[in-house]
Amino acid sequence: MSDKLRISRRGLLQGAGALSLAGLAHPLTAWAQATGPIVIGTLTPQTGAGSIYGPGMRDAMAAVAKEVNAAGGVLGRQIRLVSEDDQTNPEATVRAARKLIDVDKAVAVLGPWASSVAAAVAPVCWESKTFCAIVGSADSITKLPHQGFLVRTQPNISAQAARFGKLAIDQGAKSIYFMGPQTPFTQIYIDVVAAMAKAKNIPFASEIYDGAKTSYRTEVEKALRAKPDVILLGGFVNDNAIVLREIFRAGYKGKLIGFGTGVNTKLLESVPPEAVEGVFAVTPSPALDSKAYQRFAKLIGNANPGPFESQAYDMINITLLAIAQAKQATGPAIRDAVRQVSQGGGTVVDNAVDGIKLISEGKKVNYDGASGSLEFDAVGDIVDAKFKIEQVKGGKLSTLEIS
Amino acid sequence: MDILSQLVQLVINGLLSGAVLAMPAIGFTLMFAVLGFPNFGISGHLAVGAFAGWVLNAVYGWSIWLVIPCGFVAAGLVGVATDALVFRRMRTAAPITLAIISVAVTLFLENALRFGFGNTLRTYTVPLTRDWQVGGFRIGTQQVETAAWSLCVMAVLFCVLRYTQLGRALRATADNRALAGVKGIDTQGIARLVVFIGMGLAGASGILLGIDTSIDPLIGFRIMLAVFAAAVVGGLGSVPGAVLGAFVIGIAEEVSQIVLPAVYKSAVGFVLILLFLTFRPSGLLGERR
Repeated sequence: MSDKLRISRRGLLQGAGALSLAGLAHPLTAWAQATGPIVIGTLTPQTGAGSIYGPGMRDAMAAVAKEVNAAGGVLGRQIRLVSEDDQTNPEATVRAARKLIDVDKAVAVLGPWASSVAAAVAPVCWESKTFCAIVGSADSITKLPHQGFLVRTQPNISAQAARFGKLAIDQGAKSIYFMGPQTPFTQIYIDVVAAMAKAKNIPFASEIYDGAKTSYRTEVEKALRAKPDVILLGGFVNDNAIVLREIFRAGYKGKLIGFGTGVNTKLLESVPPEAVEGVFAVTPSPALDSKAYQRFAKLIGNANPGPFESQAYDMINITLLAIAQAKQATGPAIRDAVRQVSQGGGTVVDNAVDGIKLISEGKKVNYDGASGSLEFDAVGDIVDAKFKIEQVKGGKLSTLEIS
Repeated sequence: MDILSQLVQLVINGLLSGAVLAMPAIGFTLMFAVLGFPNFGISGHLAVGAFAGWVLNAVYGWSIWLVIPCGFVAAGLVGVATDALVFRRMRTAAPITLAIISVAVTLFLENALRFGFGNTLRTYTVPLTRDWQVGGFRIGTQQVETAAWSLCVMAVLFCVLRYTQLGRALRATADNRALAGVKGIDTQGIARLVVFIGMGLAGASGILLGIDTSIDPLIGFRIMLAVFAAAVVGGLGSVPGAVLGAFVIGIAEEVSQIVLPAVYKSAVGFVLILLFLTFRPSGLLGERR
């Protein structure tokens, strides 16, 4: 046996002593966790592709924590918000989530934005029995065996695709063509819209292209050979900027519908106005007319909070209400109580401060949020999602409806 | 549209795509011939030219015809600067070392542009025109202008290389740098000039590409594989080969869509590089060494 592996009697006694102290300390730690501040982790993209949304999401959650703390906290305990950057990167997300759960002892992790990030963080949360609310919209995430620890505030891809297809049909489409870049979601868009078109006997065709090319002449020609009167653009700003130019040059006169991630103010800045005039955009929307949205706007001093900030506001509100409802600040308790406070009748509330007060009076509450009514199905997807339909008119996006 | 008409249309599209690739491919192959390594810095310099052109056109309102030569000069000067700062002291280093350093140069330039201009797409103030319809075929006016620019540049370059003292010195340096030096040719000066022309061509093509699409700091990165493929297919070091290679790649990428889904378009360039490096490393017009 090497010297390194030999254990001295003194060393053994020291180790045993340390273990005993650790054992004694454990109940103290548990007591501190049950009486000290309740730790909520925010895991949002401060850097990377999602970085334009992350800071707003974090600030929204911080504003709610601040107002709840000012009103006395939850279960008589203050909220301590610990914020980490998911870097829009699954690997960094897992490290950050482990830190929030293992070191900070967060009972909930809120905010993962990108689908890849949300899919990476979900197993970490359910294995450590931590509640998690995500944005990432890939259908597959809520189908994971998360045992109820996961909810999603953003409509999933199928729901988004269905709204996309509905708009095409509502516009009187006689022939629909979908073109979009290769992404993990593109085939879902195609399958959902194809099924909707088939149900209405509308001819439908599609193509998936390479999203990193500098020319789409042939792809657009292929689309126009199908003689569509509605073209659905599944692309992002970079490829849409080129595709829309080609469509204009080709003299297409029909309607064009894109997602908000690909048809937005950034696109308008990067394409000559004639190429983008009349294009429709479909975007998941906050519930602009709701009391919660108006209250949230006032709380953060921004007249038009975006969809992801609104979802972050709702995530922390339902988490705190669930803690108040369960009278326990643990992951399983939040999981079991979250649907009791978000749906199923009761006094409608639009913020955690009012809800916590009502719950302490023994009343049932039903939280209706800034992003929607926030009712979850069995796997954690929202049932009722709002979408904003916009159209480019005179070089600007005009809102047509929110439904 | 029957299959023959479709094929003709795809060949037209391919020729127009090839015309965009030809200029940076000439620059790439020219630098390979004289400096002896694949300078992937061309990707970053293409973006530099595109942004220089954008500033002059969109911010200062200069005519696009004036902006293209300015983009050439801007990217060429940046090329000379990077050559003086990075490559000059490493002329005798192994080609693979220099190639890796050139990737670092591209990353530096792209990130410098990102730092200065952000990631937002930008567009030139050039009116968008409808395509011509000729005999049932669609021909893009902008792409024809781009092709015309490429042909002019190629013609000028061909004349310079073929008929001038400078061209002879350049060819001599490409053939054997040490011997050219012994004969009194300023090989360092020739290297600087080649870098200026090569990166200048990349910069001008960045503007032509930007007029046709939009620009962002990664505009060169997106086209780099096709440029490299064009140079390999044509024969690394051969200027006429680079032009031919650009048209072969352009046509192959478009025509492949008859049988392949559009999503595999980039794979066509990879496959051609693989085939040529395996079966004909000297390319279509390159010399066997």
